[in-house]
Amino acid sequence: MPIPNGDSDWVFEASGLKKEHDDGRVQALRGVDFRIQQGEFVAIVGPSGSGKSTLLQMLGALDHPSAGTLTYRGASLVERADLASYRAHEIGFIFQAFHLLPTFTALENVQIPMFETHRSVSEREHRAIELLKAVGLETRQHHFPAKLSGGERQRVAIARSLANGASVLLADEPTGNLDSESAALILDLIVRLRREQHFTLILVTHDLGIARQAARIIEMKDGRIVSDALNKEPT
Amino acid sequence: MTFFTFVTRGLTRRPVRTGLTIVGIAIGIAAVVGLVGISRGFETSWQTGMKSRGTDIVVSNMGRGLTPKPFSATVVERITPLPHVAETCALLVDLISVEKADMMIVSARQWGGFSWKNLKIVSGRLPNDAAERAVVLGKTAAEVLGKKVGDTLQLETEELAVVGIVDGGAVVEDGSVILSLPLLQEITGNQGKINIVDLRVTPRTTKEELTRLCAQITGLVPEARAVIAGDHIRDSQAYRMISAMSWGTSLLAVLVGVLGVMNTMLMTVFERTQEICVLLAIGWKRSRIVRMVLWESALLGFLGGVGGVLIGVVGVQLLVTTPAIRGLLEPELNPQFLVMAVAIAVVVGVVSGVYPAWRSSRLTPSHALHG
Repeated sequence: MPIPNGDSDWVFEASGLKKEHDDGRVQALRGVDFRIQQGEFVAIVGPSGSGKSTLLQMLGALDHPSAGTLTYRGASLVERADLASYRAHEIGFIFQAFHLLPTFTALENVQIPMFETHRSVSEREHRAIELLKAVGLETRQHHFPAKLSGGERQRVAIARSLANGASVLLADEPTGNLDSESAALILDLIVRLRREQHFTLILVTHDLGIARQAARIIEMKDGRIVSDALNKEPT
Repeated sequence: MTFFTFVTRGLTRRPVRTGLTIVGIAIGIAAVVGLVGISRGFETSWQTGMKSRGTDIVVSNMGRGLTPKPFSATVVERITPLPHVAETCALLVDLISVEKADMMIVSARQWGGFSWKNLKIVSGRLPNDAAERAVVLGKTAAEVLGKKVGDTLQLETEELAVVGIVDGGAVVEDGSVILSLPLLQEITGNQGKINIVDLRVTPRTTKEELTRLCAQITGLVPEARAVIAGDHIRDSQAYRMISAMSWGTSLLAVLVGVLGVMNTMLMTVFERTQEICVLLAIGWKRSRIVRMVLWESALLGFLGGVGGVLIGVVGVQLLVTTPAIRGLLEPELNPQFLVMAVAIAVVVGVVSGVYPAWRSSRLTPSHALHG
């Protein structure tokens, strides 16, 4: 695990993190400890049911842990009052199933998170066009999701996740619904954007080939971290 | 793209369901416009009729009927000497079936009384005297009955000559069969009976004096009540019942609209659970989601309200041209009332959206990762 220079460099710190469902009958996380540094590219791998998506939910403040502590930049995420603001401004989410709104065009989908900012209508649109250009979809901005390929939809979703300048990108199996060619292109795009924008990337996958592109790989099994190691030779 | 793009897209994604919901609200609001507009129009028509006759105070006993109960004509003698009383005119008014009209106002007036003076002759003449077995018809009544000067009119068992067509200056007057008081008393077997005394006060009588005079008359004439002309119809229990029933029926129709909007918005929230969770996951506040749902239901209400007003206005206009209603009333469909009807629809929309909005606010963003 990398050692940061000071406390402020830790983006996330988790200690004894647990998540139970159904009154404790299901234990999704059974005491997880880790720290993630600003700018890291971390892959979380593991089989289905290992708890990796649950962990991503905790990091994204989509759900609360049952026990343990989780901090974001030194402050408890659980006790934070403005979780919507955290989700809107601090992090970006990329979903396996894209989750674009079907009745909105690519350009409109990218603008959605910006409603929680003070940007004007024209500023939102201008920013969305820039982001679509960055993901290579400037010519498809007025297309509805149904008229886009899987890869294009995920590129719109990536543009949406970066709409408010997130410093952390959380990706849940971002290539899981794509063919291998599109998957490779999407992964290259995410890696390129991370290099350009220096955001922290936490990517959940069950594909070791994808995980090997990360600088650090956390392996999970049965709700526990079974290994957490630097990848000396990211591909 | 603005916030209202979300509101409109939410509704246009299921156009048939949205359309049917709007129709549901529109029917409810059309019922409000129609029933309440007609019932208020009935009141307005009576008031306009009084005004056109130049009446300041009406002495009658409205009781439970739409027309007042008969009382002795000697009441006039007790009222006339009172201070501020300038003129009186005794009437016997009834709503009865006349030939092909199911219900028509038959207005018998004291011969020579001031209530005759507002009638402008369109054709023919007024009766020559109280004894002439003749009627004049308001111009609408003549159209409804298909009568012209020279025809005869069957009133109860009596055949009377139509000697004139008149313009009474008000819907109620134009829709009436008008004849002399003794003639109707004889035909209906109400000799010596009247049911209304129209009263004019002397010039410069103040509102307070008018009110005091009403109280004085009511004390002096226990069989009737004196009210200022504008309040006359509201004194009728029957009118109050009709008015209450109009509102009651309308509110029932509106309640159906509420359930329709609530059902639609609940379906919308259920169908868009995933989407709402995604919006929460990418940073939308719950309050924004709630506002989105409430605005959608308010817009449904607004569109239904506008549609309902259009249906109601057209429906009422068609209704008042039917022979059964024509000449009896002019519906009150003033802009304030129509704006109020649309406002009711918007409130209905918002109220119907509260529960679905609350449901949407209870969703957890973690659902966005599922599916």
